[in-house]
Amino acid sequence: MDFLLSLLEFAFGRQEQVLEALAQHAGYVVSVLVTAGVFAIVTGIVTRRNQLARELALSIASVFLTIPSLALFVIFIPLVGLGFAPSFIALFLYSLLPILRNTITGLDGIDPGVLESAKGMGLSPLQVLLRVELPLAWPVILAGIRVSSMLIVGIAAIATLVAGGGLGDFIKSGLARLPLPNSLEAIWLGTILCLLLALVIDLILQAARLATISKGIR
Amino acid sequence: MSTVSPNLSSRTPLSERLDLIVSPIFAVILGLIGTAVWLYSDIDSITEDILAPEKLQRQLGETLVLGFSSSILVILVAIPLGIVVTRKGFPRLKNFLVDTLGLAQALPAYGLIVIFFSFMGAGITTVIFALATFSLLPVLRNTIVGLEQVDKSVIDAGRGMGYTSRQILMKIELPLSVEVIIAGIRTAIVINVGMSALAFLVGGGGLGETINSGLKLDRGPAILIGAVMVAILALVFDFLSALAQKYLKPKGL
Repeated sequence: MDFLLSLLEFAFGRQEQVLEALAQHAGYVVSVLVTAGVFAIVTGIVTRRNQLARELALSIASVFLTIPSLALFVIFIPLVGLGFAPSFIALFLYSLLPILRNTITGLDGIDPGVLESAKGMGLSPLQVLLRVELPLAWPVILAGIRVSSMLIVGIAAIATLVAGGGLGDFIKSGLARLPLPNSLEAIWLGTILCLLLALVIDLILQAARLATISKGIR
Repeated sequence: MSTVSPNLSSRTPLSERLDLIVSPIFAVILGLIGTAVWLYSDIDSITEDILAPEKLQRQLGETLVLGFSSSILVILVAIPLGIVVTRKGFPRLKNFLVDTLGLAQALPAYGLIVIFFSFMGAGITTVIFALATFSLLPVLRNTIVGLEQVDKSVIDAGRGMGYTSRQILMKIELPLSVEVIIAGIRTAIVINVGMSALAFLVGGGGLGETINSGLKLDRGPAILIGAVMVAILALVFDFLSALAQKYLKPKGL
């Protein structure tokens, strides 16, 4: 209980710092989800008709997830330097697989009869894609985006090791000062805020789910 | 961390084969990049010192010990736990676990290792326990999902043949879910080998030391070669687990 109080005191004593780290961390998540989301969905759409291309894209995306986070964060440093860039690239590569896999699963799961009737109604292939296929696959795609977001929130804590900021800053500074006063607080604050941020993002995505899923399939 | 949620329907023969082809290709490409950097970039005496063979050998050994011990610990804890919560009588606990496991993915491994360090002090045991805690989730999750997806009518058939609950578990449920469970173990092994690169933070050694020295002394080639080695090691273990996944699944499936 005492620790909880001193944790709160620690957090509220440096609101500015906390908000900045939170903003950086959330900035990674949002920018990565948007760019990787677009990239993965487009890749899923482009490759869906060709089994080899589809499976190859999935295998490559899953290899990225196999590469340990520290390695992926630092491997681009010789090319792009420290800070935001290497962290962004690593998180981007990590978030591809869940979105890509769900895009493919979602598009695959559409009843061929529905596509036939859309075609029969005179919709062009592009119209079928935009007005029938994507809306029907969207709930599955969104589930993939959600998995990616959880993943990125946790991994983005590593960004601090390549001077990329974020909530990992608290963990790093706490570790460096251990066992001085406030070091434990910093470590726990960084870790707990990651979980809270994930919770908030999860809620936002659930709201987005309700708002964006077309009425017919709710 | 290759499977976040097990996706059985999409494991076609082609994807299984690509599974075994793509990661070796990546490992070879990374190896070539590492060799090229070693041969053609500016290697000064400091970089040479960071990459001294005896250091790398020790770090590799530490990484393997960390990866193996934490994986074994996870298997010993998570599979029995998964079996227990899927027995009748724990539906609430099981639902709670499945719900929280999704969110728990957002737990930063970095924070977890440092928190364990603040309780247990420096050293290899600290890292083993932290890694095991972190990689518990995929194995537990896959054990639960694997046991749950076994067709209830098959279990009924077993019961009708006079099997006891234990026989049903050993002869029907576990063999039918072994593929999903191994997929979880594979994820855990890759996580453990990968995250052991963070062990250097709390005095647990490992290949992360090379990366860290490279970062501290601003030696690009050392950073890159360290990262390449960590990545190749994870790819090798992923490949070996993929082989195990392929050959350990029951013939009838």
